[in-house]
Amino acid sequence: MDGQLKTGTSLTAESSNKYKVISLLGAGGQGEVYDVECGGKHFALKWYFKHMATKSQKEILDNLITKGAPNASFLWPQDLIFNGYGEPFGYIMPLRPKNFKSIVDMMKRRAEPSFQSLCKAAYNLTNGYQKLHAMGYSYRDISFGNMFFDPDTGDVLICDNDNVSANGIDNSSVYGTPRFMAPEIIVGQAKPSRNTDLYSLAVLLFYMFMMGHPLEGKLEAEIKCMDIHAMNKLYGKNPIFIYDPNDKSNRPVKGYQDNVIIYWDLYPQVIRDLFTKSFTVGLTAPNKRVTEKEWLEAFANLLSGIVLCPKCGAEVFSDVHKHENGVAQTCWNCKSAVSMPATLVVGKSRVLLQKDAKLYAHHIYGDFDMNTVVGTVVQNPKNPNLWGIRNESSENWTYIKPDGIQIPVAIGKSAAIAKNVRIDFGQMTGEFK
Amino acid sequence: MAEALKRPGGELASRPLHFFWVVDCSGSMYGEKIGTVNHAIQSTIPEMLDAAKDNPNAQLLVRTLRFSTGATWVTPNPVSIEDFAWDDLDASGVTDLGKAFEMLAAQLTIPPMTDRALPPVIVLLSDGQPTDDYKKSLDKLLHLPWGKKAVRIAISIGQDADDDVLQQFTGNRELVLQANNPQALVKMIKWASTAASLVSAPASRPKEMNIIPAGNNTPSATNAPLVLDMNNIPDPGSIGANDVW
Repeated sequence: MDGQLKTGTSLTAESSNKYKVISLLGAGGQGEVYDVECGGKHFALKWYFKHMATKSQKEILDNLITKGAPNASFLWPQDLIFNGYGEPFGYIMPLRPKNFKSIVDMMKRRAEPSFQSLCKAAYNLTNGYQKLHAMGYSYRDISFGNMFFDPDTGDVLICDNDNVSANGIDNSSVYGTPRFMAPEIIVGQAKPSRNTDLYSLAVLLFYMFMMGHPLEGKLEAEIKCMDIHAMNKLYGKNPIFIYDPNDKSNRPVKGYQDNVIIYWDLYPQVIRDLFTKSFTVGLTAPNKRVTEKEWLEAFANLLSGIVLCPKCGAEVFSDVHKHENGVAQTCWNCKSAVSMPATLVVGKSRVLLQKDAKLYAHHIYGDFDMNTVVGTVVQNPKNPNLWGIRNESSENWTYIKPDGIQIPVAIGKSAAIAKNVRIDFGQMTGEFK
Repeated sequence: MAEALKRPGGELASRPLHFFWVVDCSGSMYGEKIGTVNHAIQSTIPEMLDAAKDNPNAQLLVRTLRFSTGATWVTPNPVSIEDFAWDDLDASGVTDLGKAFEMLAAQLTIPPMTDRALPPVIVLLSDGQPTDDYKKSLDKLLHLPWGKKAVRIAISIGQDADDDVLQQFTGNRELVLQANNPQALVKMIKWASTAASLVSAPASRPKEMNIIPAGNNTPSATNAPLVLDMNNIPDPGSIGANDVW
């Protein structure tokens, strides 16, 4: 495949770094992406097509490079190659490692994350957008093409950040991608914003968890020709959630939308509730859409609420609603009953207490850090029937017995898991249930 | 502890997308013209395959129809892009475009077409005037539900092509692409091959560009973005013999 830039071309960036063009990696609607080299390291270069190399694009890039990436999940512009207006230009960003797969790979079952990795990817993705929105930006084009994930770890990389600009300022060149665009954009009533990002994010999350689209039910099955007019109606003018509790007219149809039927009941009620809110209230009230924080709290609990079915090994999500209502939890694969271990409840967080389960900073500080381990569920070496949580944080905890007696749990020590016992983690107190 | 099982379910549901190459193989195409067409279409197949791999919404099915004296399906049945290979066409005879429309119409009828699909894409390449009565069969084609919904693109090769006829087929002057030299022909074939991905998963719409609605009705709202972005059609004026890729 030939691109606009020849292999071996040397380009001088504004940082005065020199980049050598190695090969063309791909092309899209706005430009081409090349593998380039500088000082023995490889980077990606996005090189705009002539008609996309605009002044406003240059200004967006200048700002993004100055501000820097929201967190490590972004392949963020870091250097600019610009020789004056009227000339093509491009920007440098980190190169995506090969072990990262696209969501399309997931949709086509070429990438098979475990539920654990899937939840981690959803968490990391949402966390990335939360950080981006916190900087006052909107992304404007959340869709299949601009996020990659590692199926083994759930790490994510968000790319195509060159449309990111200050929320509310209309200077970027995109309106979004069909099937992901918020209804108010499709009908021409709104431009991309943080709130339309929240809609697109919910669609992407729905695709990841349910392997289908939240608005594609009976109404989609009945459409013969899926052309632009049909898409405008289905996703814009007349959107109806497939599991709208008050409107059953668009339920998924067996034979056409099997995946959503399989997945919908597999997740805990709290996930179904968030998707229901996203695609009922959230269809028409952009400022009432599910926020990243709500998603993150739910995903953190999903991650800490997976048990393996002892019979078949399938990952089963514990559902607090079922637990509280005394409904037995069953394996989605072999249908056998799965008993759930005890739970540590800290504020909104719930952690299933099973062998090697980790307690993360988020669980005891509520800070959305699901990477820093602060505790591990361990067996008592003297009595393997006794389980405890080892303090791996940097602060001492306090163990509070039912009779009120307090025992310090120093760093490195373990606190036994027992009914009605509480642990004071400093900022928050947890209880075994 | 047993190893975790694969998540259940199958691939994301997708719809068939029928793509037709309809190639004028009359005597006037003999020599370099048909040679360029053969080479250019063959070269686009791997790119179409790559695009299809990245497209979760469509199953791309390709077919070739040739017309000269009469018309023949080179691939009688739809072939998945993964299995599609280009068979070189040769040129002789007259330009029975009407016969080609008639055969297209037969294939766009339900059945053999399924009743649920993405809009078909028909790319017609021609360098001359129809020698048969094309009007009746074109009319029939354009009145079929799938004929009406099809994205119809014509590539007008050289100075002698009848652009009025091609425009009757596309329904839109801007979808009659001019290819007055081999370089332009290659570029237009390449662009037309990308229409498949534009139809099934239109790219983000660049703002303030010339947009052509893909259907007959212009969406009522001025900002309605679900339109086929024709912005990247190469401009024939900017393609010269020195334009090397």
